[in-house]
Amino acid sequence: MVDDPSERDAYRDGYAHGLMTGTGPENGSRAIVQAQDLRRRYGEGEAAVDALAGVSVDFPSGRFAAIMGPSGSGKSTLMHLLAGLDRPTSGTVSVGGVELTTLDDRTLTQLRRDRIGFIFQTFNLLPVLSAEENILLPLSIAGREVDREWFDRLVDTVGIRDRLSHRPAELSGGQQQRVAVARALISRPAVVFADEPSGNLDSKASGDVLALLRHAVDDFSQTVVMVTHDAHAASFADRLLVLADGQIVHDGEATSPEQALDLMKAVG
Amino acid sequence: MFTLVLRGFVQRKLRVLLTAIAIALGVALMAGTYILTDTINHAFSEVFGSAYANKSVVVTEKETLGGSQASALTEATLARVRAVPGVAAASGDVSTSAALLTTSGKRLTSGGAFGLVDALQPPRFEAFTATTGHLPNVASEVAIDEASAKRNHLTLGQQIVIAGRSPARHYTISGIAKFAGSESFGGTTVALLQPSQAQYVAGEPGAYDSINVAASPSVAPEELASRVGAVLPRTLVVRTGAQEAANQTSELEEKLGFLRTFLLIFAYVALVVGAFIIFNTFSITVAQRTREFGLLRTLGALRTQIMRTVIQEGLLLGVIGAVIGLLLGILLAPALDGLFKAFGADLPDNGTVLEARTVIVSLGVGIVVTVLAGLFPAMRATRVPPIAAMREGVQIPPRPLSTRRMLIMRFVLGLVLIFGLGAVLGHGIGLLLVILWTARAIRLGARLRRKGERPPRHYRVIPALGHAIGALVAWRGITGRLARENSVRQPGRTLVTALALTVGLGLVAFISVLAAGTKTTIDNAVNRSFAGNLIVQNSHNEGGIPAAVAPAVRQVNGVGEVTAIAFTKGRVRNLSASGAPVIDEQSTVTAIEPESFARMYKIEWEHGSNATLVTLGQGGTVLTKKFANAHKLRVGERLSVATPSSHVVSLTVRGIVKEEVLGLLSNLTISRSLARTAFGQREDAINFVAYAPGASGAEVQHGINTLLRRSFPQAHSQTAAQYTQEQSNKVDKFLLLVYVLLALSVIVSLFGIVNTLVLSIYERTHELGMMRAIGTSRRQIRQMIRYESLITSLIGGVLGLIVGVVGAILVTTFALSGSGYVLSIPVGTLVVLLVIAALAGVLAAQLPARRAARLDVLSALASE
Repeated sequence: MVDDPSERDAYRDGYAHGLMTGTGPENGSRAIVQAQDLRRRYGEGEAAVDALAGVSVDFPSGRFAAIMGPSGSGKSTLMHLLAGLDRPTSGTVSVGGVELTTLDDRTLTQLRRDRIGFIFQTFNLLPVLSAEENILLPLSIAGREVDREWFDRLVDTVGIRDRLSHRPAELSGGQQQRVAVARALISRPAVVFADEPSGNLDSKASGDVLALLRHAVDDFSQTVVMVTHDAHAASFADRLLVLADGQIVHDGEATSPEQALDLMKAVG
Repeated sequence: MFTLVLRGFVQRKLRVLLTAIAIALGVALMAGTYILTDTINHAFSEVFGSAYANKSVVVTEKETLGGSQASALTEATLARVRAVPGVAAASGDVSTSAALLTTSGKRLTSGGAFGLVDALQPPRFEAFTATTGHLPNVASEVAIDEASAKRNHLTLGQQIVIAGRSPARHYTISGIAKFAGSESFGGTTVALLQPSQAQYVAGEPGAYDSINVAASPSVAPEELASRVGAVLPRTLVVRTGAQEAANQTSELEEKLGFLRTFLLIFAYVALVVGAFIIFNTFSITVAQRTREFGLLRTLGALRTQIMRTVIQEGLLLGVIGAVIGLLLGILLAPALDGLFKAFGADLPDNGTVLEARTVIVSLGVGIVVTVLAGLFPAMRATRVPPIAAMREGVQIPPRPLSTRRMLIMRFVLGLVLIFGLGAVLGHGIGLLLVILWTARAIRLGARLRRKGERPPRHYRVIPALGHAIGALVAWRGITGRLARENSVRQPGRTLVTALALTVGLGLVAFISVLAAGTKTTIDNAVNRSFAGNLIVQNSHNEGGIPAAVAPAVRQVNGVGEVTAIAFTKGRVRNLSASGAPVIDEQSTVTAIEPESFARMYKIEWEHGSNATLVTLGQGGTVLTKKFANAHKLRVGERLSVATPSSHVVSLTVRGIVKEEVLGLLSNLTISRSLARTAFGQREDAINFVAYAPGASGAEVQHGINTLLRRSFPQAHSQTAAQYTQEQSNKVDKFLLLVYVLLALSVIVSLFGIVNTLVLSIYERTHELGMMRAIGTSRRQIRQMIRYESLITSLIGGVLGLIVGVVGAILVTTFALSGSGYVLSIPVGTLVVLLVIAALAGVLAAQLPARRAARLDVLSALASE
């Protein structure tokens, strides 16, 4: 479907024109996602809870970051704010140079559509569509042409070519999540947010999916931000952030699962 | 547990309201029907009550056959009544229907009602009193009822025209009169004339329709009635005033019973549709609450308790729906009244009559239908296993556990059903219809829902149809594509939702096809059979035209020939040798002028020829093939016929005609002269006119119209084309009335679509959240829901058209075969119906689409 022209103009105004090309910036060190003093408060008065109490963090392009933290640490809230799914109480978020906090719902939706990829714990494929249609869904929604070459490359990378015409119900959990990874990558987003991508998978399938994400970062220069409570999953990343009580308590190179677990024990 | 039910209702206000409305609209039409007909009955009984209040005894003719026979009440009868001891006063009364018009030819009556001419009675009997001016003192004066005078802006001194069975006369308004009881006569106009003038209008100088009698102070009405009865012939009826009023009221109620039944049919159609929706809603909510029921079971709730919870919900919903329906019905009754006025039935009404029966029946039917529709989903809910509380996606076991308790429960349910049916008696058929339809939908739905088992082939039609129709929107991109897939995701649900629309649209299609066929049939038949140039008949529905019209039209310049046709009635009674009746049947009898009729009407003979008509004379008859076959009658056999004027004539069968589409020739056809003498037939129904050779048609019709306007303003002339056009207009008018009444059912089914969509969206919250997260705009979500609704409504529409058209074809092929009925498919109308179905679908999607688009992405993602 085609949006009306006025809507498209508004959308352009919301972005820097250069970012419309769809490929991420080549400069690997430039921050693609930036957060400044993010605060998110739920409720009011005495019952108010600060899920995030002032978080500033940058995610450089082409890197794989893992965010860990115990339940209630604010890691999910942080990801929702970075992905434009929720609005901060104060502070700013920018993705690809576009300030999210001032965008209206429509422009924000279009930004998510074109610049952000999502991978969910529960896969979240549409049961009525085939695997292929699910992968192409973001492009269908945007009404954009399919880059067949890119599609073929992705399908072969995630290894589901013989399953393309199947519906999600006919796929295993691991296969479903691989379809979801392809879906997240199909629009060449500026950043992919993965929310516990291996949480619903057995260890074999879990390893496959995490390796895929690693692969996307290494071979496609994709930026990936992953929330997880699984130390093994976090060990696939380049960088490990640990949150506790709404604040970043650790930010460093990713380590072995054992060290990550120690870090978690220290805050938990 | 009931607290739980109440809590649930409060939490789901919108759903409860939407579902309640599904049942409320049907109940509203039912309550409205009762209120309207009760109100009309009440108004009539008031009119009759006051009309006979001052009359101790009333003498009338026995009305065995009806028709406009000559009256047997004369001055001599009146004199005999006056001589009876105990009679204080007696007076002859005339009451006849007639055309009442302004001098410019406009009728004073409204809404298809006929005018009434009454003979002025002595003050002790007269129910009218003058509010302005005075009641007619001389022959040239007339008094008009107040409402009609107001409606037509009539004032004293103005002239009006009255045309009955004699040539029309002008009268001067001397007074505006008010009736003693009710103020409303509906669209009827009453004109009071001097008795001799009323007799002139009735076409019977010296004859009365009834005799009013007042008793001396010491004589009771009953006593006087028997005294009067003793001196009069048995063909006359003597009743007390009170009896006569009751008699007339009950006769009228019988006639109005048709109106009530007619409307109740539409109420039941709406209730069937409502039952579908209740069933569907309950099925969906039970499926959605699998976890809740599982939890209750885990906490120790018995199956029966779960079942009771769901039934209580049905009961509560039924009560809410029925009460809303009853209240709506009170508002609807005046609207129905207005509808009938607009469609040519202006009936009297005073205030609003709400009888206890209306309340009981409306609430009862509404609640019973709702509970029944919710019963099967309730039984399904009992099969939720406790494990459902723990796990996601537990399926309800497909087959009921045939424990002894279940069997007992079913038996009890069966009993309750049967007794319920018996208790509501008159509504039994209606309820049965609801149950059958719902049961059918339930079976369909259940089979489609059952997983792992492929439904029988014809149930697979829904996914196929959904896909085919979905193709219409699928090319519109991903939203259309998703809508198509979603609409066939739960075929059972889509089917029941669509079927609700199918019921209404199917009936509309059915009636449309039949109506189109009727028009074509009339058109063909007139073109085939009518060989004259003009048809002269009453331009309203006051009945026939005076017998004097035919001779007068014959005198018009350029008229070649006129033939008059009349209708009367007779009771055919043939006895066998042993005295047992072989035939005993009342029938319409057509009376024709044998010399000229066949020249203007082509008769298709089975036995005989046009020459046969001339042999009719005073003792011959021609039968239709159908009547002859039904009673195994052949040419030459004799029939005995009792006439409205209490004669018995013996008729010889002279010929047999083939079936007649226009119904001009009835079972029996006799000569008009015999109808005059033996049947007492005083007026004609139709005159056929043929122009003289070489005459200008336009000039002759103009000449005839001038004559009619002057002397017989109740009549008009039409060419064959004008006649068929008028018939077609009448069909269209009826069609429109039916459409309006069926619209209610279609509206009910729209609520069904809304309901199903809202529930489906609720089910797919998580999915919608994901779609929004990955960048689907609100507009796209709205569009997807709209397409989904469009597909559902078009499935309903297409099925409706198929059912309607096939039904109409079956009816015409089997029930109407041999009647000359021509089938005709109104393609244009059917296309419009589909478009309406599509628009309805889009309309129904508005609210659900907005709700779906409004979903908060994060909470939708967090939901399960």
